[in-house]
Amino acid sequence: MLKPPLTFKHRLVLPLLLSLVLILGYPLAFSLWISLHDYRLTAIEQARWVGWAQYFTILTQNASFWNALANTLRFVGMAVSLELVFGLLLALLLHRKATPFRHFFRAVLLVPMFVTPIAVGLMFRFLLNSQLGVVPSVLRALGITIDWFSAQQALITLALIDVWQWTPFMLLLLLAGLESLPEEPFEAARVDGASSLQIFWHLTLPMLRPTILAAVVIRMLDAFKVYEYVYAITRGGPGESTETIQYHIYRVGFLYFRLGEASAMSYILIAVILMLVVLLFYALRRESLSQR
Amino acid sequence: MKRLQREAPILLILSFALGVMLFPYLWTLLASFKTEAAINRPLALGFTPTFAHWRAVLMESSVPLQARNSLLVGALTVGVALLIGAPAAYAFARFNVGGPGLRFTMLAAQMLPPATLIVPLFLIMYSLQLLDSLLAIVAAHLTFILPLTTWFLIGFFDDVPRDLEEQAMVDGCTPWQAFYKVVLPTIRPGMTAAALFGFVLSWNDLFYALLLSGKNSATLPVGIAGFWTFRGIEMGRMSAAIILAVIPMVVASFFVQKYLVRGLGGGAIKG
Repeated sequence: MLKPPLTFKHRLVLPLLLSLVLILGYPLAFSLWISLHDYRLTAIEQARWVGWAQYFTILTQNASFWNALANTLRFVGMAVSLELVFGLLLALLLHRKATPFRHFFRAVLLVPMFVTPIAVGLMFRFLLNSQLGVVPSVLRALGITIDWFSAQQALITLALIDVWQWTPFMLLLLLAGLESLPEEPFEAARVDGASSLQIFWHLTLPMLRPTILAAVVIRMLDAFKVYEYVYAITRGGPGESTETIQYHIYRVGFLYFRLGEASAMSYILIAVILMLVVLLFYALRRESLSQR
Repeated sequence: MKRLQREAPILLILSFALGVMLFPYLWTLLASFKTEAAINRPLALGFTPTFAHWRAVLMESSVPLQARNSLLVGALTVGVALLIGAPAAYAFARFNVGGPGLRFTMLAAQMLPPATLIVPLFLIMYSLQLLDSLLAIVAAHLTFILPLTTWFLIGFFDDVPRDLEEQAMVDGCTPWQAFYKVVLPTIRPGMTAAALFGFVLSWNDLFYALLLSGKNSATLPVGIAGFWTFRGIEMGRMSAAIILAVIPMVVASFFVQKYLVRGLGGGAIKG
């Protein structure tokens, strides 16, 4: 016996493993290496080792990076919480057997999550444009003036666009969660004379908690990558008010050619995301333990 | 009728949501048939329809080339992802190869921010002289679509009864034949859904395509993004191009919806 032969099940996985090493493992390692160098696209030959210095500088002295991170957190917070509220409301309505045309509504309301984000961004830029846009025009006729892309408003507007596109995803997961709940507790509660509100608060919501957690985490991770709306509409402006982290890294790496710094930022971003996910799981688990 | 009356408040809420959802498409569709002058008067009700923007987009612009690029990139990405992902998903579902660790890797890989991968991918493609080629975009798209496809199919393989392969092997099939002749055909709906969903994600990507493509390899999202920024405002043409990009996704969504929850659950959710 020279070598144990690869068994059937291992041969099934081998191509996947090799591809992942090639397209994910190697680039990630390369990126780490770049992040430890002063690596500029304009002077690749002169890349020199700087160790963790770039990480240190970003964390302690880079106001733009922290601003972008704060903007992203605000964006994610606003977007995901609104998506949860609207998604839950729609899911509850579409879960009721009595609701007419529920399958039709479900099928059509899910559509936005499949649509090209850059197209969505440009459609809303057009719709909300202060001269050409139909929304500001209608609002003006009603005596309301909102500058959707002003420094105070723009990030909120981008978050609302995200809500338009991604509430369907919440709806999809929460509806599936509702449909998988057992029926007996609900029948028992109704027999005991509980009101709809009581049933929702004391039965539906606690039982739906794992689905809500999963949906929120997935949406959060995805919302962290926001780029298309920023690219389509504001390019980070006015000022740096809508500069999100993904856009910031793109700018540092590919408009200022500082690839080493961009790589270091992306690793810090991964660390921040991991911390958030762990915190969220921890907080929600403790909350559900204290309720028992 | 009585039921509709009793359900009126709920119908009202749902119809409102439907209106909010449909309005941007309808308005953009209308704009693609308006003259630029009519677009500048958003509140005027009537307008004389023009087909100039559609003609310009379809006959004189690079949009058809970009749509072809998107189609090729999507098809190639999905083809490779299924070829590599389906056997692996089968091995995860049947033999639990790699345990939860490998499954978690599939999940984590999809969540990785593209900003992390773009710098090394750009440099690798640069040194391979693959910048401005469709292959570079396909490789970048595989970084998330390959793990996704694999993850997506696990749940479908889970539902195939084991007797099926056992019977096939009693009948003289090798394990490999049992897999691709007997098991694979039974999960065809899952494969179709995974392929369509992967295609949607590839078609929709702007970030990778923008940085890895050039004049010849630009995909549709890259082309659309250019309408507002580089040639001044060509609202009518941009609207036509947007509608063109969106329609295939709307159609695909109706086919994918039914299987999406099971796929995204990766074997954890039954439904």
